[in-house]
Amino acid sequence: MSNASLFVRMKDYIARNYGKNNVGKMLLHTGVISWILSSAAQVMAIAINDKIPKEQKLYLIPQECADAAVNIVSFYALTKTFKSLGSYLVKTGKLVPSSVRKILKDTNFKNIGKIGTDIAKDANLPAEELKNFERFSAGMDFMFTTLGSIISCNIVTPLVRNQIAADRQKKGIAKMNESKDECPSQINSTYQYLQKPSMVDFQIKYYNRTYPSNSGTLKI
Amino acid sequence: MAGISISPISQFSRATTQRVVNAMPEMTISSEKANKFIGWVGDTLTSPHNRLILGVTALMTQPFIDLNNKKVDEETRKISAARTIAKIIAGTITGVIIRGGCIKAINAFTKLPHEITPDMKFKNLRQLFTPSPGILDDLKKYKDSLGTILSVGIMVFTNFLIDAPFTKYLTNKFIDKIKQKENQQEQAPKTVQKTTQIKEAQHE
Repeated sequence: MSNASLFVRMKDYIARNYGKNNVGKMLLHTGVISWILSSAAQVMAIAINDKIPKEQKLYLIPQECADAAVNIVSFYALTKTFKSLGSYLVKTGKLVPSSVRKILKDTNFKNIGKIGTDIAKDANLPAEELKNFERFSAGMDFMFTTLGSIISCNIVTPLVRNQIAADRQKKGIAKMNESKDECPSQINSTYQYLQKPSMVDFQIKYYNRTYPSNSGTLKI
Repeated sequence: MAGISISPISQFSRATTQRVVNAMPEMTISSEKANKFIGWVGDTLTSPHNRLILGVTALMTQPFIDLNNKKVDEETRKISAARTIAKIIAGTITGVIIRGGCIKAINAFTKLPHEITPDMKFKNLRQLFTPSPGILDDLKKYKDSLGTILSVGIMVFTNFLIDAPFTKYLTNKFIDKIKQKENQQEQAPKTVQKTTQIKEAQHE
């Protein structure tokens, strides 16, 4: 397959899948990819930031990783749920403008609310009304997708990621403290010669020596 | 991996949707203004607007969630909130600009034959992104989608080259401000103490 025909196929695929009142679907798919890329960049930004102390990095890096994982899963699950809820409500005739409701009542349309119903195709709407309904449908798609994104990215994700990151930070700090405590004993056991008195020890002992005679514990 | 993880999410989403749709009453939007507004949203708003709305609402919620996270110490809470604000500002600014710019660029090179006028420059390239004839009559949504997809590709680079350093810069600025404030607060009681001491000495 030549590059030119691959390019044409790609354009046609995008036109078929995202080109007609599929704003929500496009926002959902591009949103997931954007979150992955943005999170990778943010983790790098924390790692290379010298002004953030190590203790805080122990919180912020897991916070960002948790943020990415939770964000992507919650964004996909919640936003997709909201998006499909909105589109089902509109498609099946549960949520429609008053002009369409009037037509549905006049034609005694019976499949309202049944999954699989698409009133744009099944309700024989007049051309002008169909155009308005498609605009209404696209608007609702955008609003439901955005609402789902706000709930998932701006409320659910920060709450969950903070919980995860706080637990990680506690564990990280405990590990850091453990390794600090272990250091001197490890050195002493590994390097026996360090336990032998050094010249400094000898000098300290020499200057701090006490005189056994009448001077008691007076140091000279 | 994607197949394993996405499929249950899709099933969950579909099942939840079906239950909710069944439970929902019939709703009719009778206000003419509301219907016009929804139609306008469908016609006009696209990914840059979505990103802007997400950014503004993020500034209204996320820093407060970080500041009220009682599971970490106050210092971490403040730094975390500062970084969150910096990240939101940097991400929103670059996200909106790049998405908007890409949609405009795609718009310029996705023309139908009758839209190309004799005074246009680069006539040969004006149909570069136009899909095959017969697939779509109205290209607006297609242009928005293609522009957004292009912007995601560009953001592979800008996330690292602009977002991350910009977030770092803003975070450091905010941290400096927090520290300045803390220092001022620490010094304030000392100066009060000193002035009272001086006053007492003068009095004596």
